[in-house]
Amino acid sequence: MKELVIQGLRQAYDNLVHMFAEFLPRLLVMLVIIVVGLFVAYFLKTILRALLHVTRLDRLSEEAGASRFLRMAALPSMTELLSRSLFWVTWSGFILIGISVLGVAGLQEQISRLFLLLPAIFVAILILFLGLVTANFLSRAALLAAVNAGYPAPKLLSWSIRFVIWALAISMALEQVGVARQTVIAAFSIVFGAFMFGLAIAFGLGGRELAREFLERNLGDKKKEKYEEPQPL
Amino acid sequence: MAEESFLADDFLRQLMSVGEVDLLVGIPSHNHASTLLQALHCVEETLRQNFVRERAVILNVDGGSTDDTRKLFIESSERRDVAHKGLTSLRTIHRISVEYDRSPSQGLALHHIVAAADLLRARACAVVSPGTTNLTSNWVANLLRPVYREGLDFVAPLYARSRFQGLLARDLLYPMSRAVFGQRIRELYSDEWGFSGRLATQCLEKEVWQEEAMRARPEAWMAITAIGGGLKCGQYFLGPKPASPAGTSPDLVDAIRQTVGNLFWCMEINEPQWLNRSSSQPVPTFGPDHELSSDGVPASPEKIFDLFRSGVNELEPILASILAPETHAQIKAIALSDRLKFHFAAELWVKTLYEFAASYHHSVLNRDHLVQALVPLYRGRLYSFLLEHANSSPEVMETRSEMVCQEFERQKPYLVERWTTKH
Amino acid sequence: MPQLLDESLWYKDAVIYQLHVRTFCDSNGDGIGDFRGLTTKLDYLQELGINAIWLLPFYPSPLRDDGYDIADYTSVHPSYGTLQDFKDFLTAAHNRRIRVITEMVVNHTSDQHPWFQEARSSRDNPKRDWYVWSDTDTRYQDVRIIFVDTEMSNWAWDPISKAYYWHRFFGHQPDLNYDNPAVRQAMWEVMKFWLDIGVDGFRLDAVPYLIEREGTSCENLPETHEIIREFRQRIDLAYPGKMLLAEANQWPADVRAYFGNGDEFHMAFHFPLMPRMFMAVKLEDRKPIIEILEQTPQIPPNCQWCIFLRNHDELTLEMVTSVERDYMYDEYAGDKAMRINLGIRRRLAPMMENDRRRVELLTGLLLSMPGTPIIYYGDEIGMGDNVYLGDRNGVRTPMQWNGGWNAGFSTADPERLYSPLISNPVYGYQAINVDSQRRSAHSLLSWTKSVIQTRNAFRVFSRGSIEFLNPSNHRVLAYVRRLGEEKVLVVNNLSNSAQAVELNLQMYKRHIPIEMFGRNLFPRIGDLPYLLTLGPYQFYWFRLRRI
Repeated sequence: MKELVIQGLRQAYDNLVHMFAEFLPRLLVMLVIIVVGLFVAYFLKTILRALLHVTRLDRLSEEAGASRFLRMAALPSMTELLSRSLFWVTWSGFILIGISVLGVAGLQEQISRLFLLLPAIFVAILILFLGLVTANFLSRAALLAAVNAGYPAPKLLSWSIRFVIWALAISMALEQVGVARQTVIAAFSIVFGAFMFGLAIAFGLGGRELAREFLERNLGDKKKEKYEEPQPL
Repeated sequence: MAEESFLADDFLRQLMSVGEVDLLVGIPSHNHASTLLQALHCVEETLRQNFVRERAVILNVDGGSTDDTRKLFIESSERRDVAHKGLTSLRTIHRISVEYDRSPSQGLALHHIVAAADLLRARACAVVSPGTTNLTSNWVANLLRPVYREGLDFVAPLYARSRFQGLLARDLLYPMSRAVFGQRIRELYSDEWGFSGRLATQCLEKEVWQEEAMRARPEAWMAITAIGGGLKCGQYFLGPKPASPAGTSPDLVDAIRQTVGNLFWCMEINEPQWLNRSSSQPVPTFGPDHELSSDGVPASPEKIFDLFRSGVNELEPILASILAPETHAQIKAIALSDRLKFHFAAELWVKTLYEFAASYHHSVLNRDHLVQALVPLYRGRLYSFLLEHANSSPEVMETRSEMVCQEFERQKPYLVERWTTKH
Repeated sequence: MPQLLDESLWYKDAVIYQLHVRTFCDSNGDGIGDFRGLTTKLDYLQELGINAIWLLPFYPSPLRDDGYDIADYTSVHPSYGTLQDFKDFLTAAHNRRIRVITEMVVNHTSDQHPWFQEARSSRDNPKRDWYVWSDTDTRYQDVRIIFVDTEMSNWAWDPISKAYYWHRFFGHQPDLNYDNPAVRQAMWEVMKFWLDIGVDGFRLDAVPYLIEREGTSCENLPETHEIIREFRQRIDLAYPGKMLLAEANQWPADVRAYFGNGDEFHMAFHFPLMPRMFMAVKLEDRKPIIEILEQTPQIPPNCQWCIFLRNHDELTLEMVTSVERDYMYDEYAGDKAMRINLGIRRRLAPMMENDRRRVELLTGLLLSMPGTPIIYYGDEIGMGDNVYLGDRNGVRTPMQWNGGWNAGFSTADPERLYSPLISNPVYGYQAINVDSQRRSAHSLLSWTKSVIQTRNAFRVFSRGSIEFLNPSNHRVLAYVRRLGEEKVLVVNNLSNSAQAVELNLQMYKRHIPIEMFGRNLFPRIGDLPYLLTLGPYQFYWFRLRRI
């Protein structure tokens, strides 16, 4: 019995040692892969950055107005953004490959699934980011326009716009990742419908003033307005 | 790599036919069929009466009119005195017309005019608007003459105004541009101005023509380029500025977006030119420096005050990102004050504007939004101005305006500080 | 061209050479040109290609207005020879198929004329009424004074008969009274005298001023036209083929009346065109020429305009606006000495700053525009002027034949010449003379001969219609002359720099332009605008042929 126990233990120990002896090189390989990946990623990043400098991408993005966008989102320049993304994408790839080398059962499957999901997640993040920026921009534009034109409840208008765009962006992002598709679409429809209904009621009740003003402004006596604001130039 | 030229072949052919000229008058147009001929005849009259011997061309740059503007320009005959047996003018008064296929843009029109001036080696040029209803041949002559005969490079107009007309220019654009760029040009933003061929050539070389800020009001940039290039600027008193017919002039919001936006942008691109400049110089002025008539009593401006107050409330987060905390606090404080005792002090006004300019420079938010956020504050200042000067004489108003100018100049170091350090 | 001589419309095809017998050639060594001398130079004129000579007044005269103050209408001033000399000259000219046009100063006489001597002798002399008399100088107040530099009034006081007499020109040139039939008859007798000798036509001087009426400008009055018609009728009846040329310095629309319905003058000068040709070249813009020709009315088919660049008078600036006059003065008469009355007393070459290209351009214009051209003596070799000689004598200096004694004009002592020669190094007779230019195939003289020859070879120049092309390049003046199937395209670069021009020649599609001086073919006219490039002041004459 004792023998058996010892043998068992030994076998277990041997197995462990064996496994460890088998695992250690993999770990080392993984570490090597990760480190190599780091270098490769860094190398690629440097090359891309240099390349983009040569092609004067920043100026292009400045002219296209994309830079201003990035500045407002507190992001670095286009060149920097792209080269950093490349770095991270490359390195994460290496890390994942490294992990898969470990040969941990189950993990392998998860990782390959993650690899499959990666583009979708990436797109989803992009959608969310764009949605955020657009919502910010449009809601502020609406706020300013409403305030300067003297429309009532400019904040409500501004927030409504922000809300609608957010809702749209979030549902698009979730749809992209493929999480509970039906639920998302249904939820968005409900939220959007409710929101529109609310707006309709709100304008129906509170908008009489607005409508009157609108009509006055466009059809009524224009002199009144000129009285208020002398010719600026 | 062959670069694309923005000049159409047909336009170049027309320029070739005209050859070298002494004078060029540009008429940008867009659906001006009803008033174009008046402007055209006015310019022709000017050339006949004042520049008989000079080689001259009138250039119409049309932004895709859907009425007959271009056709009218090309086909209408030179107005001549039938009883007169001699010549109507010594030389052919050339007319050329070009159409650009994008939405109407003063900047693009000016780009064509400046390119034509350069290619035709014009010595003096003027731009007049066919929308100016009381354009006279004297106006055109007075814009051309100082350039052609006195060697100036940029001639801004001066107008006789009623007391409450052109307050944006009087209370913001003039004093600020004067303090920043150091030259006392009163009407930096106007519908007609004159410039030299030399300036045209310098302007043509700058790569700014595609900028959004140049679209609506490129004229101030031209003056500032002249100042920056060490060229001579001047101004000529033309006469009463016409009240724009209803519906044609931009409203206050658009006016501010176009002019203040442009001014901030000019500051941005010409930074080295003004950062170290202090005080301002008068420019050669022909005719009276200014003229204010005492008519034009303002009606109840309460609505303006309401817009100011609600703007300060509603835009609080935006203003907070633009203004320094103390300034913002002061503005919030006066927004709460009693409507009749309201006072927006010049000192605060100047500080506000300088902080706006600096925030524009640092791009704290979308630049167009930033400029729009200035509108309610300008209304506050406007209301304060109307309250203060409801019964002032033109002389008093003029003195006050001069004080505002000096306040702008006094606080310029503050602008430089805000501009150069990011908060 | 003998057939030309028989044609009654000969004046339409003429190229007229204007000269003063005094200035051309002196045969007897008295320092003054004469008819015998002129006769010896007819070969030169024939060689030049002209086919008519217009002689300035050669009648006995006190010569206070260059012979326009005539003291005897029916003889020759002794300095210029005898009547027989004139007849010999006329025959010699006709033998060379050259016609002769003489001056008929109808408006006034010299105060030395026997008619005026009789008229002033007493108030009841039968000839008293041959002139216009008045006891006051206040009649005809609305009438302008022509010689503003010298005359204060149109009335002059006659101390002998104690009355004022009327004169439109100098005070020593009393106006004849054409209300008097006797005057008209006397003047007809004078004309008959010369026509009988064989003169081919008259240039009638100062025709607008024949009749005076209170309350009018006394110019271009209907009665004046009646008198002209009367003369014309008599000439057509008795001397068919003879020509009347009007000197009326007026706007074309006013001059038009002198053609009547083809029953007054055959020809009239186009005064306003001349300054505008000079102006167009200086402005480098065709506008002045086009505009004045657009204002020129149609004339009857048997009539013709007479055009010229320079003549014995000042380049008159009466028919221009004050703006134009100032411009012309500034550009062409910077020195005040060059100005006289309302005009510029200079010759063609000095006005063009001796620029051969501009002289050629203007001559080319003169010979290709509609009208009968007049060439002023000496301009064919580019003679200079002397603006310091007083009055208009600066453009009336002796013809420069060679570089020798007195320029070959006279054997007299140089001091004895009626006028000093031009002797400066640029325009002087040693530099500019007929003999030296004859030797060179490229001289201005040789060039002028060849253009006149070309013009004479094509009737389209003298009789054809004109149609202006309107290329967008205003420095280029282009027109098509057309007579039946004969078509000539003329393209002139009025500017001092090379120009490109696109001509719309759709009407002449498929035609082949043939350059007329070199007879070279140019590319056929197609669907596209016809592109030509021209050097500074260059011009082309193209025959448009459809082959």
